[in-house]
Amino acid sequence: MAKVLVIVPFPMSEENRRAREAQLEAVQLGPGLEFHFRPVRAAPANYTSEHDSVLADMSILDAAKHAQAEGYDAVCIDTMSDSGLAAVRSLLDIPVIAPGRASMLTALMLGERFSILIMWDRWRHLYRKTIAELDLGARCASIRSIGVTPDNQSLLAGKEDQVFPLLLAAAQRCIDEDGAEVILLGSTTMHQAHAYLAARLPVPVINPGPLTYKLAESALALGLRHSRKAFPKPLAPRTDLIDAMFANLGR
Amino acid sequence: MPKILVIVPFALDEAGIARRKAQLKAVRLDPQSEFHFRPVKAGPASFMSPHDWTLMDLAIFEAGAEAQAEGFDAVCIDTMSDSGMAALRSVLDIPVVSPGKASMLFALTLGSKFSVLAQWPPALVRYKKALAEYGLAQHCASVRSFDVPPDFDSLMDGKQEAVFPKMLEVCMRCVEQDGADVICLGSTTMHQAAAWLAERLPVPLVNPGPLTYKLVESLLALKLTHSRACYPKPQVPKLPMLHAMLEAAAAVPAMRPSVTAVSKPPPEK
Repeated sequence: MAKVLVIVPFPMSEENRRAREAQLEAVQLGPGLEFHFRPVRAAPANYTSEHDSVLADMSILDAAKHAQAEGYDAVCIDTMSDSGLAAVRSLLDIPVIAPGRASMLTALMLGERFSILIMWDRWRHLYRKTIAELDLGARCASIRSIGVTPDNQSLLAGKEDQVFPLLLAAAQRCIDEDGAEVILLGSTTMHQAHAYLAARLPVPVINPGPLTYKLAESALALGLRHSRKAFPKPLAPRTDLIDAMFANLGR
Repeated sequence: MPKILVIVPFALDEAGIARRKAQLKAVRLDPQSEFHFRPVKAGPASFMSPHDWTLMDLAIFEAGAEAQAEGFDAVCIDTMSDSGMAALRSVLDIPVVSPGKASMLFALTLGSKFSVLAQWPPALVRYKKALAEYGLAQHCASVRSFDVPPDFDSLMDGKQEAVFPKMLEVCMRCVEQDGADVICLGSTTMHQAAAWLAERLPVPLVNPGPLTYKLVESLLALKLTHSRACYPKPQVPKLPMLHAMLEAAAAVPAMRPSVTAVSKPPPEK
């Protein structure tokens, strides 16, 4: 039985945590795999500035830092920003997967150009960073926003009728006007719209969270994990210090 | 019970197919998945010139063109050259996965620079072409060859002791001199060396065949397939013509791939 830890990038109620966990239903997973969804202990209110990105990196590192010692076989990070990914990889020898970079690379296995569908413009910087790192600018047809403020707690619940048609219309423009051959959902918080969009769009739609669960399964099945050359271990790990930073925040 | 067709790019006999099929043991797969290995009807005897690539494109296309109608749920192409992939994707709605581009993209999920281990110098040009086409050249630390002629049928059988250490030495040069974070085996025909190399290398090694088996499982589980916007269907499909061409080719006496690909010394008397 392999155990996978999924880091949820915001603290949340049990009900909202379960709305994240519902992403598991979107993908058929092999037998003998268990996914545990763990929210971070503290987080920025949202991911709209570099201030937030730094806090997100640290909070995800905190939540995942002992995953290996706790007996987990892999870690998934449930955010398209790939926050904390590099730092967690530097500490752990088990596979650590996040959907940002992985969605773009997977999209290029299915087509030559992708578009990213997002809730609002304040997320753009997240994808630009990854696209620049991978030098995939020429492969990104567009990033289109529907201009609706996201809610990282209740996700799209109760807003389906308003939001889903907007997402569909924006995605269709990515295809018709921008030349997208694959659509990426810009956030794991949009997962509830995936089935609706996939059923109505003429190109593949990547659902980032479920993709990471399958990638974690693949990494375990293939005996592969990140390269230590790309993610060197710290000479002096200070998980104690990271732990101290978060230990009293919740009180 | 998903049925997956694996197309073997040379017209091999049963023993040759068995050597390819051994790749299934390198990865833990869903017990429900069924993999059927099918050789092409005819094809090139070597794999080093555009003449060979064109023949292989056609041969693989033909071998998989009816896969969906035959009841398969996905197709894997067992060659790093991705031969026939684009053509098959244009006629099939089921996922078609090939390891060339996929290995390189997958390597970039594990590190930021990869090297490709090539069999011998004549193979180098093909990788350079693919890297440019995929737009991945800037992520490639190097393509290095270990300079041993390939044998597409018997693979590395009987040559382990001579060849594996050479492969390791070249991989280490990729890591130490070129800065590779990840090594991609340049051919599915090298799979017998994968476990031996992975144990000895300080960086991940991508074994292309087994990666494709796991990728098709993933695409099926995620209900994803290639984009029709990227691989449009033909307006006038000519599959009967394609089959007739390969049936005619199969009637021509075959050259055993390894014999012509490798200039072996004459057998000792």
